[in-house]
Amino acid sequence: MTQSSLHETVRIGLLTGAVAAAGILFDNAYHIQVLVFIGINTILTLGLNLLMGYTGQISLGHAAFYGIGAYTSAILTVHFQFSPWAALFPSLGLAVLVALIVGIPTLKLSGYYLAMGTLGFGMIVFIVFRELDFWTGGSSGLAGIPSLKIGSVDLMSGRNFYYLVWGAVLGTLVVSRRLIESRVGRALRSIHGSEHAAMAIGVNTQAYKLQVFVFSAFLAALAGFLYAHCIGFISPGSFDFMASVRMVTMVVIGGMASIWGALLGASLLTLLPEWLHAFADYEMIVYGLILMLVMIFLPQGLLRGLLDIYERSRNA
Amino acid sequence: MKDPEMLDRDGEDGGAPILRICGASKAFGGVQALENVSFEVSQGMILGMIGPNGAGKTTLFNLISGLYPPDAGRIFFNEEEIQRLPTHQRVRMGIARTFQNLALFENMNVLENVMVGQHVRTRCGFWGAIARTTGVRREEAACRENALALLDMVGLVDQALKPSADLPFGWQRLLEIARALASRPRVLLLDEPASGLNALETGRLGDLILAIRNQGITIVLVEHDMSLTMSVSDRIIVLDQGRVLASGTPEEIQTHSAVRTAYLGEHCEQR
Repeated sequence: MTQSSLHETVRIGLLTGAVAAAGILFDNAYHIQVLVFIGINTILTLGLNLLMGYTGQISLGHAAFYGIGAYTSAILTVHFQFSPWAALFPSLGLAVLVALIVGIPTLKLSGYYLAMGTLGFGMIVFIVFRELDFWTGGSSGLAGIPSLKIGSVDLMSGRNFYYLVWGAVLGTLVVSRRLIESRVGRALRSIHGSEHAAMAIGVNTQAYKLQVFVFSAFLAALAGFLYAHCIGFISPGSFDFMASVRMVTMVVIGGMASIWGALLGASLLTLLPEWLHAFADYEMIVYGLILMLVMIFLPQGLLRGLLDIYERSRNA
Repeated sequence: MKDPEMLDRDGEDGGAPILRICGASKAFGGVQALENVSFEVSQGMILGMIGPNGAGKTTLFNLISGLYPPDAGRIFFNEEEIQRLPTHQRVRMGIARTFQNLALFENMNVLENVMVGQHVRTRCGFWGAIARTTGVRREEAACRENALALLDMVGLVDQALKPSADLPFGWQRLLEIARALASRPRVLLLDEPASGLNALETGRLGDLILAIRNQGITIVLVEHDMSLTMSVSDRIIVLDQGRVLASGTPEEIQTHSAVRTAYLGEHCEQR
């Protein structure tokens, strides 16, 4: 085992400890709820970071996959009496299928075609959620989504769901880490470095771009599934263009190509609206400003940027 | 002026041709970058390719490596027709290249650049990476060892963990050669490897090129540095305005009148 992966194992162990400790310490249902949302957003950000941060492919419609995961499971459980766990596989499966259909034509082209394609795709999916009202409830949303159960244990009670979500976060972290530190991860990063050079060393860039796009859609759908069964009610507004922008912001703020940055970015952008209730109407402006400031002053993201500042002050 | 007698003598000395270009043409817009270019490269030789800027040398490399298809003509590698295959498949077959303007992965360190160069010789896929089985770990360790050995060969093993962009220019050129060698090629296309190097570095590069050939790797060398090209090449092809102007041994090329007036003469006067 190399030094860096040893450090990584220690870090993941520490995070596991912190997750367990927070679960015991936090009593307040509201706090637990916020932690659950941080977890769900971390899964989203990790997936999008593999695509954006590591492979350099921008998706502006990732909320669509998040929504497909949420709505598929919600519709199957509410209208077709599926048990939630039985609805998990069709939800993930549909997201993967749709990602293949969207990804195959757009990823053949290099450059910003994926960004443009996913932008349009996200809008179409949002309209489908809103207009297919006999299934989705339209703009007023879909209520009465059953909670998850393991045996007779109802995971709805905040703390149990918290452990489930953060278990999924830790799993996603380990999987992302392993991908990045492998032959596959190097191939993905080579595409980010230079697509021509990646081809010239023998990387099938098209196949790898498709793989990582589908995997990030899979993670978004998993997050959507957890979200739907966590709050029991969903409406199209959670999966609109602004939601996609929020995800991109989480990736950029935490730091592109940084797994721990994804955790930080997701935490900050989940907590920020909670802290700044007064700014709810100006959400777009606040996110825009944050994105601009981070891009200008901390282009490597908050995590790397703060570490650099710390190291400089220590050396000074 | 062409000398037909000299044109037809490629590939007659020794081994079977590993690379054969038959009537390759390529135009960009209205500019004919290559016109009906044919030649062969014998197994184990160093073929030097010279010609003024815009003669079509890099275009030819891009056709051989598959970055874009020829308008007409055929390309054979080991007697197999390859002009329709995608680039990554040609690398797998054994064609590697470097770039005139360097194309290192600046988001990776030196070691990772050479490790990713072994992409076509390693197998771990998506599920393998997640499962991280013993087989995958073993492959990863072997990949690392190979990369370090290649870095040792080009003299960069001490720089392994530096970001590749932090290396001085000359070392970046060596790193790119190491990355190309990592795919265990049978043919290596070097696009102006000496440009930007000082005299000392160019001398070492010449030794490295000969050492690579001695491992049995065929080399096609595009280079403006005449003394380097003349000293390492077994045969030389002169391209001018997208056509083969002449070909022959370095001695023949140096005494060839058309070449002297078209290229060498100008080149010398500029100095």
